[in-house]
Amino acid sequence: MSSVEMEICPPSASFFGYMGVTCAIAFSNIGAAYGTAKSGVGIASMGVMNPGMVMRNIIPVVMAGVLGIYGLIVAVIISATIPAPISGVARYSLHAGFAHLAAGLSCGLSGLAAGMAIGIVGDTGVRAVGQQEKVYVGVVLILIFAEALGLYGLIVALILAQTKNDCGQD
Amino acid sequence: MTTMPTTYSDLFYGISPYSWAYTGVGLALGTSIVGAAWGIFITGASLLGASVKAPRIRSKNLISVIFCEAVAIYGVIIAIILQGKISESHFAPGSAEYAKNAFSAYSIFWSGISVGLSNLVCGICVGITGSGCALSDAQTPETFVKILVIEIFGSALGLFGVIVAIIQSGDASFIKN
Repeated sequence: MSSVEMEICPPSASFFGYMGVTCAIAFSNIGAAYGTAKSGVGIASMGVMNPGMVMRNIIPVVMAGVLGIYGLIVAVIISATIPAPISGVARYSLHAGFAHLAAGLSCGLSGLAAGMAIGIVGDTGVRAVGQQEKVYVGVVLILIFAEALGLYGLIVALILAQTKNDCGQD
Repeated sequence: MTTMPTTYSDLFYGISPYSWAYTGVGLALGTSIVGAAWGIFITGASLLGASVKAPRIRSKNLISVIFCEAVAIYGVIIAIILQGKISESHFAPGSAEYAKNAFSAYSIFWSGISVGLSNLVCGICVGITGSGCALSDAQTPETFVKILVIEIFGSALGLFGVIVAIIQSGDASFIKN
């Protein structure tokens, strides 16, 4: 019975590692962009009637920007642990490649979700704060819960990114 | 006689590294420009509509258009950097040179996607925010500078993509022979 011998370190392992890097930054940026744009429109609208509250209401924009930074952190950390082959010998295992893909996806998709939550809550929240200032604390609390979702993704991604890269004795 | 089942690695051996690399370069430029264009038409349409009744906003709000244009420039810069790493060489799958070329090709492809997608969403974000900025500036002039701060946060996202693309493709270079 013939069995397929799987290479531990094929050259295509880095395809998946770099896919993880891209997923981390690209999806986090989509979430951050959505959060920034959606709450930005809300701030612009409420700024017409209540310009004094605009600077206080920038907080959802800042929190959405932080999601982009989470993606940047994970992308840089993963990218630093992908070694180039030396004189034709691959040094990056498939196990590590898929683990880095998982890390990138977990950070990126969590950032995307958190960004969408921050955008929608931020948009409605700042419009409400423009009319009733006492709502501000409630809006900030909801935004913090939404931001925590992105943080969970970052934590899991950092744990996954520490997967050992072991090519065995080549 | 049974044939060995193929693994997905065989699929990768069958795709030339040049296709990955050049696709990455093309997408880096193309999607960045799409993002910049999208942002420009979103903000430009609102800007022009609002200046019908408030012509004073016209020149100040062009800065939103410039923020979107910067996104396109990021794409051009990265595309030129990435294509400089690709060079013609002769190698066979499984050879020593193949490993380095394949590694570089995947790295360039995904760097291109990173910067392209980041710039795409950055351009749209800056465009939407610029549109809101123009409309609120037309009614309440003191909000202009404050909404501009939001656009600056938005354009930082394109910069994150550029940084990641440069770091991602740092080790990439095709072997010349």
